[in-house]
Amino acid sequence: MSRAVRPLSDDDLKALLEQCRRDNAQHEVTGVLFYSHGNIAQLIEGDPAILEPLYEKISRDGRHSNVVQLVNKPIASRSFAEWSMAFHPLAEEGFKALEGFFLPQHAPSTPDTMSIADALIVDLVRQAVFGPSEPTEALPGPARQ
Amino acid sequence: MREQQLQSILRHMPAGIATLLGPELRYGFVNEAMQALLGGNTPEGEPLATHLSTLEADLLEVMQQVYQSGRPYVAKSYSLPLAATDDSPPTPRYFDLALEPLHDENDQTLGLLLFAVDVTAQEEARQRAHELALETRRLDARLRVLTETAPLITFTVDATGQHEYVSPQWYYFTGQPPTADVNAIWPLLIHPDDRLRVLYQSDTARANGVGWNYEYRLRRHDGQYRWVLSRALPELHAPDKPVFWHGAVTEVHDQRELAEALRRGEAELRFLADSIPQLIWTATAEGFIDYYNQHTSEYTGLSAQELGPTGWISLLEPREQAAAARRWVQCVGTGEDYEGIYQMRRHDGQYRWHIIRARQLTDTRGPRWFGACTDVDDQHRLREVLQTQYDELARTNRDLDTFVYTASHDLKQPLFNLRGLFDELRRVATFSDPEQEVLIRMVDEALGQFEGTLQDLAATVQSQRELAAPTETLDLRSVAEEVLLGLRAQVEELQAVVELHMSEAPTLTYGRANLRSVLHNLISNALKFAHPERPPHILVRSSLSETGQPQLLVQDNGLGMNLQTEPTPAFHNFERQHPRIPGAGVGLYLVQRIVDSRGGHLAVTSNVNEGTAFLVHWFE
Ligand SMILES: Cc1cc2nc3c(=O)[nH]c(=O)nc-3n(C[C@H](O)[C@H](O)[C@H](O)COP(=O)(O)O)c2cc1C
Repeated sequence: MSRAVRPLSDDDLKALLEQCRRDNAQHEVTGVLFYSHGNIAQLIEGDPAILEPLYEKISRDGRHSNVVQLVNKPIASRSFAEWSMAFHPLAEEGFKALEGFFLPQHAPSTPDTMSIADALIVDLVRQAVFGPSEPTEALPGPARQ
Repeated sequence: MREQQLQSILRHMPAGIATLLGPELRYGFVNEAMQALLGGNTPEGEPLATHLSTLEADLLEVMQQVYQSGRPYVAKSYSLPLAATDDSPPTPRYFDLALEPLHDENDQTLGLLLFAVDVTAQEEARQRAHELALETRRLDARLRVLTETAPLITFTVDATGQHEYVSPQWYYFTGQPPTADVNAIWPLLIHPDDRLRVLYQSDTARANGVGWNYEYRLRRHDGQYRWVLSRALPELHAPDKPVFWHGAVTEVHDQRELAEALRRGEAELRFLADSIPQLIWTATAEGFIDYYNQHTSEYTGLSAQELGPTGWISLLEPREQAAAARRWVQCVGTGEDYEGIYQMRRHDGQYRWHIIRARQLTDTRGPRWFGACTDVDDQHRLREVLQTQYDELARTNRDLDTFVYTASHDLKQPLFNLRGLFDELRRVATFSDPEQEVLIRMVDEALGQFEGTLQDLAATVQSQRELAAPTETLDLRSVAEEVLLGLRAQVEELQAVVELHMSEAPTLTYGRANLRSVLHNLISNALKFAHPERPPHILVRSSLSETGQPQLLVQDNGLGMNLQTEPTPAFHNFERQHPRIPGAGVGLYLVQRIVDSRGGHLAVTSNVNEGTAFLVHWFE
């Protein structure tokens, strides 16, 4: 998780999306990035030999600061098929057609191939970036016994 | 020729030269520079006074005096306004004016030689220097006020460590007299435990030409050692040698104590959390766990690293994980308390029941979560065992009821047959034995008792089922009249008088069947225990107790009984005392059960041969 040094404009986000889509596809890096009001969270999957230097590079990127690594662990298999980004552009029109872009409410739900503990990280991170979601879905009630 | 040359030189000299002749000081020779100075209008032979363009009157006077006294005079930095031109206002210029008397060969005063050198630049520089000096003094004063009033000690020290300057605060703080030798005494006032370190550090800093920044304890005037912060920076003199260090000593005792207390407090809290045999943890505002206590790793067999920011969820029973995770996300989003009871896996794989509770604390450092998992496995198991036993008992009870009900029902038929056979026997058979009348009556009675007991047994089971019946607001009089209708035969036979006084508390919220049962049993009881010498008189009164609770009195004038000591007797007393009256025990047992189960109680007072009074307290 991190904080943008200054709010990222639509163009900034678009540029980041395009560059990351290209570079991550080339290096077989998958995952998801959430952005909202300067809050950033990202999950990346891939070969450790690729990820370690990539994380180093990202954490030194001048566009954001307060970079915190929540977990770093080996996984048996990927949970994301590609790398995508979810955020609210000011002008949604230009983004609708972009590959790998989602509005936060349409972002792919946390894959159920993940362990519940890992999925919980993604859900908490999503909430930390976008704020609590209104209970739109008919979720089964909270576990109260 | 030489004269001409000289004149030309004089005329063009950059200093103003003029001769003023005679006591009227008439213009004589005036060179160009002087002409400019005097405003250009210097007609030779005219007296100076009539063409006093720019010269001040006082200067004219001085000139006349010089002329008369013959003593030369130099006016230094004399200000003369330079005539305004088209594009510049008159500006003051400064001249050194030399007034020299001119003499002839006979030493007679001929006039004056006026010599003016423009010293404007020098004068301006002098004035600037003066202003600078003033400003410097002002700044200096300000600096002194600041250094001497600020709540810190300022000092200047040279390369050898000698104090060049120490602000008065040093004397206030240390309580040393103004005559004290700062260099000798200062080191002695440093706490012995800090002294060597401080002296070494400042020495090293000076040797390396760098500043310093350290804390130590300095003895205050009252003998207390107070923590101070000493900071100094070198003043670099070109080319490289630092000559002085200027610095300040500030008291930081309270901050340090506070920080120390905070550190101690935090360490103590952590120690406390680590000593508690519960799983204790804290989480960030986003819901990620950032601390697990010692017991957590003992219980789970996993390190904080292995558990990770959400690892606790994987310890729960797998089927409970998803719901627990959802609830946690929700609580983090809303700030609501988290609470639930879950099975958590121990290091040996055993799942134990835990209550997990977490609450959000919001203070200046932003929200944080504090959580605890309490092992309630033993209680949980005990509760399960108790629940199982309770269920079993309830079932046994139900089975018993069913058995009694069925038995009483099943016995009715043979009893009925028996009664029929006996009646038939009595009708067809003839008995010669005079005792037989008695025997027949006894059999009759025994059969009747048997019948009554069976009925009561069935009623007990019935009422047991009705105990849980819903309540409604009942009119006591109408229920009592219904009951009396059922007892009409006995009432008439005994010529009993039954008085109903229900107006004080006319209604009661109760189960209808239960109320009927209570009234039926108490009234029929009063009829059963009637005194043989007088017709029964029964009083039924509904009223309110002192505390405003409804109560019901059923009083008779019957046989009465000996209650001995117990205020609330067990009702088999009746049976024991009146063995010939059937079914008394069961009826009262029923009343007591009903009243008890609804949260009330039954009281009784009685006198042998006078009567009995039952008081039903419907509710406590
Ligand atoms: C929040 C954030 C996330 C980023 N994620 C990625 C990423 O997943 N993959 C990537 O190649 N670059 C990512 N970048 C960009 C890199 O920091 C870096 O700018 C980019 O890889 C270009 O590096 P280069 O100039 O060395 O080619 C990210 C930058 C930011 C600010």
